[in-house]
Amino acid sequence: MKSNTAAFTSVAPAFVLTGFVLFSPVVYAIWFSLHDIRYGAVGPFDGGANYLRLFQDYTLPGTMLRTVIHTGASVVITVAIALAISVGIDRMKPRAAMIAKMIVILPWITSAVVATLLFRWVFINDIGVASYAVGTLVGGEFTPMTNSTGAMGLLIFVSVWKRLGYAVIVLLAGLKSIPNECIEAAHVDGATPWQVFRLVTLPLLKTPMLLVVVVLMLANINTVETPLVLTGGGPNDATRILALEVYERAFAIFDLGSATALALVMFAANIFMVLAYVRLTGWKA
Amino acid sequence: MKRTMKTMQRLAVAGLLAASTQLSAVAAQAETTVRMWTFLNPEGTSPRELALNQIIENFEAANPEIDVVVEPQVWDQMTPKFLAAHGAGNAPDIIWVVTDLLGEALGSGALADLNPLFLDSWPEEAIKERQDGYWERCAWEGGVHCLFHSRNYYGVIYRKDFLSEAGIDPASLTDWPTFIEAGKKLTIRDDSGNVSRWGFGQQFSEDRADAQMMTSVMLSRQGDLFHEDGRAMWANPIGAEALKLQTEMVTEHEITPPQAVTWSAEDLYEQFAAGRLAMFTGAVVRVSTMQAKVGKENVGFMIWPGVDGKPHSPAVMAGWAVGVWSGSKQIDEAAKFLEYMAGPEADKLWIEVGGQIPASAKNMSEMTDFFAKPENQYIVEAAKGIANYGWISPVKFAVGGYRQALNKAAQNVLSGGMDPMEALEEAEKRFNQQNRR
Amino acid sequence: MSARRRAAKVSTQTLVVALVILLVVLNGLPFVWGVLTSLKSEQDLFRFPPAFFDFAPTLDNYHRVAATGFFGNMLTSFIYCVVAVITVVVVGLPAAYAFDRYSFPLRRPLFLLIIASIPLSIGAAALLIPTYIYFVRLGLTNTPYVLPLIYAAHQLPMTIWILKGAVESIPHELDEAAIVDGISRVGLLWRIVLPLSRPALAAASILAFVGTWNEFVAGSVMVDSPQLKPIQPLVYGFIGFFGREWGPLTASATLAMLPILFIFILFGRQFVAGLTKGAVKG
Repeated sequence: MKSNTAAFTSVAPAFVLTGFVLFSPVVYAIWFSLHDIRYGAVGPFDGGANYLRLFQDYTLPGTMLRTVIHTGASVVITVAIALAISVGIDRMKPRAAMIAKMIVILPWITSAVVATLLFRWVFINDIGVASYAVGTLVGGEFTPMTNSTGAMGLLIFVSVWKRLGYAVIVLLAGLKSIPNECIEAAHVDGATPWQVFRLVTLPLLKTPMLLVVVVLMLANINTVETPLVLTGGGPNDATRILALEVYERAFAIFDLGSATALALVMFAANIFMVLAYVRLTGWKA
Repeated sequence: MKRTMKTMQRLAVAGLLAASTQLSAVAAQAETTVRMWTFLNPEGTSPRELALNQIIENFEAANPEIDVVVEPQVWDQMTPKFLAAHGAGNAPDIIWVVTDLLGEALGSGALADLNPLFLDSWPEEAIKERQDGYWERCAWEGGVHCLFHSRNYYGVIYRKDFLSEAGIDPASLTDWPTFIEAGKKLTIRDDSGNVSRWGFGQQFSEDRADAQMMTSVMLSRQGDLFHEDGRAMWANPIGAEALKLQTEMVTEHEITPPQAVTWSAEDLYEQFAAGRLAMFTGAVVRVSTMQAKVGKENVGFMIWPGVDGKPHSPAVMAGWAVGVWSGSKQIDEAAKFLEYMAGPEADKLWIEVGGQIPASAKNMSEMTDFFAKPENQYIVEAAKGIANYGWISPVKFAVGGYRQALNKAAQNVLSGGMDPMEALEEAEKRFNQQNRR
Repeated sequence: MSARRRAAKVSTQTLVVALVILLVVLNGLPFVWGVLTSLKSEQDLFRFPPAFFDFAPTLDNYHRVAATGFFGNMLTSFIYCVVAVITVVVVGLPAAYAFDRYSFPLRRPLFLLIIASIPLSIGAAALLIPTYIYFVRLGLTNTPYVLPLIYAAHQLPMTIWILKGAVESIPHELDEAAIVDGISRVGLLWRIVLPLSRPALAAASILAFVGTWNEFVAGSVMVDSPQLKPIQPLVYGFIGFFGREWGPLTASATLAMLPILFIFILFGRQFVAGLTKGAVKG
């Protein structure tokens, strides 16, 4: 009954589609990255020269470290806040919950460039509304981006802000699936709200958390728009992350060879991380 | 009943006839489609887009057999995309190439030689009047492979009303000490000591980085920004002094805000539009949009102050090099449109409707009424700069990323605490490494 | 309820309320500012101090956006989204069912391959130029079907993951009974699996729709004809070489957001229920 033919014909279209659109360009890109790319066209084979040039770049370790900091902090903070907010919305009345959800998803459904530009204009720029209000009320100027720590902090803040909506929506759905009886039973047993949350709610949210963490991790690692529009990678490279490095190599310096090489290395790391994370959480395929 | 039938029949016959004439008309025309990539959308409503739309309409009216189709592109991806499309064998017939990547485009052989296509038939004086710095960049292996559009020149954009309030004549700002004094006068502090208007806006972010004042000082003293072999020529006493002067605008003279390290070129235009800047480093192509925001009469443009007793220093020129794709199947039709779009008649439209700097010197001298208007003075000033104080990035080697590298050096001085020489050594090292030199 | 617990509850609630208020300001203010900006004339855009309500509203920016054929491109984007969503469901549901119910050689590695392609779809922009050259060589660029194809492939891995969760929660007895009754494979998916996983399908479809609607990079590079362009590159087009045109930029961005908000209002409840019944079950 559960013949292999049936199974393979069921999954085959999915692999045709992903194979054609997602995997074969990667194979082409690997071939591309092993050649001397001049004037945007494929030149003679030159082995690992593009990779070699990449790893000779003395700024790369710093960029990697910043990528880890940015992604790590953004994911952890987003998940923590999204949990709190989704618990809050979960307890609201339906109409209030609907309005809250709408407000929460606004940055997520706006194009990354426009959202970041608006955030920057309203909250950071000294001709913006918030700075004007703060300036008039408190006095003084708010210039977090002129120092390295402030700029990275702000980049993480905006990354959290932009993607919080997605996390809230998915976690909220997970919360809705937890039967009320579980929570009530725990209360009856004398557990504090924190214990209920930690020992009952959180373990039951395992799968939505997996989904959220994987998507947030990948979205933050690969974001070009947010750092480019917010800080341009500065000051002093404080917010230069790997995705921005790929972008600059490809579009500012027009070194497509090493840009592609770096993108492929990032892909390999991304795939490794996702699979490792899926395994680590003990999720069964 | 019968009558209705007859009417119906007549209508049907008429309809068929109309349809067949329509079809035969289409067949007779057999239009050739010429595809052009640019960042302007002829359906759009900005002055340059209106100009382009008018030029295409005029051309198609005169050449009904040619259909010009514009495929608007995202401007910063357009040239890399074109080079990739050329490599893969399927590019548009006409392309606008950004100055920074012109060398790549010429080297790849993507741009056809325009001499045999139409320039050979131009009268000698028409060629001569165009032989400026831009023309030189299009000259490649004995041919001419592009014509420049959207000519751009960097200098200082200023608020005429603020300067006259402060009693400053922009023509007098021909050296840096005078300029700095003016900047101090133009910087306004409120009662609590916060600056409500800055004298001189600059931007040192790597996002949308323009060439800043230090490049003009360096160009004046050493003639170029690069060595013959394409390596950066920055980490020397001239460069260090120029960077020091540039960053002292923030630290010493306090006429440029500290936020400059995070500002992109776009931020300057927005700050200026909000009346928060009196002068700033800007591109002449943006003057008309600033005029639309703060009043036609209030915006002016000047060439950089000079050093070592010279009245002015050279500035970076840029623009879009327009060419015909060498692999085009309708290369003659494409060339015909480019010839019109770059010719003297279209040039007038680019100037009058689009607010562009003239490509033809003849138009410049003929359109006296237009250029006599105070709000068009900026075009005259920029044309003067292009003729006498211009520098355009080389095509022999790629210099992509140089403005970003120099801006990063300024960041390193201002918020990284580096010494100018050290910052430039760092910038030079990274630039040379990135460009494999 | 002990005093301690009550205090803890109150403080948690205060925290949640504070967070929600902060969020309303952080999310609402840029959005309101964006909409206000879209109604301003050139002169009012950068007035300082900022003009909140004391300006003469105008629809000029919306007229400018409409003049570029934006509404036609909204329709194009909508068609791309619908085609992509239908494709991911039609391709994804049988695959999800097979991955959950059939045991076949390489099942686990193949499923991990699907998971591994999620990074490729989220990070696809990094390989923009090689992918573009590859598609040009195949003659696929600037065709009406290239973008739906790419979008479907981008959204497929996540859809399969979510739908597999939904299939998991369908009791085995149901489909086994149907199979004993001699139902065909298509009939099984159509008549048993599809109705039972409808909420998860709605959830996956909405995520796929939003992802496709907001896609920018492939949309800006893979097609050239104005008629084939999706909307995000057009929105971005107002950040032009000659500067950010805030008026039309915010007007087009506002228009681009409306369909998504509308879909969330329409299907929002379905969405939550969908993830509940299926994928994200603990």
